[in-house]
Amino acid sequence: MPDTAVDNPTLADKFAAYAEAHIPGAGNLRVTHMNRIHGGASRETYSVDIAYEDATGPKVKGLILRRDPADSLIDTDRRVEFAAIRTAYGKANIPAPEALFLETDPGPLGAPFFVMGRIEGGTPLNPFRIEEVEPYRTEVGRDFFRHLGAIASLDIDGAPIADEIDTPEAGQCWKRELDHWASEIRTHAREPQPVAEAAIRYLAASPPPPAQKLALVHGDFRSGNFLHDGAGHICAVLDWEMAHIGDPYEDLAWATDLLWCASDQARAAGFIPWPEALAIWQEASGCTFDPQAFEWWSLFAHLKGLGIWISSARAFADGKNDDPILAWSGWFTHAAHELMLASRLAEKHGVKI
Amino acid sequence: MILQRIGATLVQDVAPKLEGDYSGGHAGISGVMAVMAGEMWDKEADLLANEIARLRALLEAAGMGDDVPEAASLKISDLKATRNALSEQLIALQTRLEAADDEASRALNTQIWAHLLATSAARMPSPPAFAAAESEAT
Repeated sequence: MPDTAVDNPTLADKFAAYAEAHIPGAGNLRVTHMNRIHGGASRETYSVDIAYEDATGPKVKGLILRRDPADSLIDTDRRVEFAAIRTAYGKANIPAPEALFLETDPGPLGAPFFVMGRIEGGTPLNPFRIEEVEPYRTEVGRDFFRHLGAIASLDIDGAPIADEIDTPEAGQCWKRELDHWASEIRTHAREPQPVAEAAIRYLAASPPPPAQKLALVHGDFRSGNFLHDGAGHICAVLDWEMAHIGDPYEDLAWATDLLWCASDQARAAGFIPWPEALAIWQEASGCTFDPQAFEWWSLFAHLKGLGIWISSARAFADGKNDDPILAWSGWFTHAAHELMLASRLAEKHGVKI
Repeated sequence: MILQRIGATLVQDVAPKLEGDYSGGHAGISGVMAVMAGEMWDKEADLLANEIARLRALLEAAGMGDDVPEAASLKISDLKATRNALSEQLIALQTRLEAADDEASRALNTQIWAHLLATSAARMPSPPAFAAAESEAT
């Protein structure tokens, strides 16, 4: 099927009117291309090209429109996502997109939305096929941990994210996240979850050290959520919908979760040897690697995964979101994370693996 | 075998023709899930029957006579209802065992973990076999 220039003309017309009213000096604004793209299943995501004129002449611009669906993979406030992108954009060489418009009124496009600048020339990397980045696996891996650390290094005092979300106490980051995902699991699970329930009890009974620092946490930093330029560099860090303020170890553990390492446990996140990855992360973040903290947060990462996949499956089963990726993740990745949790906790409880 | 072939058709024939359209991703991932469903269709009743038997044995080992009746039929929905009721009781039992500080409780808890691990391993689907659809799972 040929690529359609505008696959939703009604939405395109409404968006053109909105954009013309919100880009200073813009006139005769047209949407020349709009198509819905996969990725970021928490919101409807469209790639949009616009053309317009202003006082300096004709202009064209590539945009990403993220519109709230009836239900989403993750129930988050787009204001927080927008603020997180603004917090990171232009800082510490983090390739965050430019945050352009935030509209909380459902009137203009039928649902709240926000718009970012599109970062051109990047390719996503399938987390289950990391080898496709070869021969630049090492270079991309170094960028991966440099950007991960850089996000943790940002000063959150007075940053846009701090205006939109509470800042927890350093000793309470773990509890806030554990309580949140335990609630998500219990609210959305369609059948009993003995492994998740046992993990919740185990994590609550053996908390990690307090956060070394309070930082911007991307929340979903992993392969699949960045673009690379095909020449060894990451050119965009995407999908900030789970961003919050918390412990940098949450991002480190999620980014290196076994699910995202393409079965290559010898390399952190499937990219580079662990010692090199941790050295880069420490230098960029200003944190010191603590195995005890990492052990807790890496177990928590499996549980957080279960929370995401259980919520996904529920949204699909209830008919609130018809994207089959939610059903798939509620099955395959749920099973994977449950097996990871069961393996690690069974060993801690005397089962010979 | 039928669902396997339907899945292969969706992934290898339908999805490529829809490339560039949002529905192409739907077709691909639906194809992968058809294959997964085919695998599970064959073994789901066996998995549930084994889980039910092991759950009853664990509860009995704890001296808890479960009050969950036998499944009304061998329909998956009936077997699941029985398994789920027993799972709720297992969660309560394991919570109680964790609070106890004796060797017998620890030993039974180890058996429960062995069961949870075996169940999780048995329910892990085979990896997706189609790269085209897999790429949508990002």
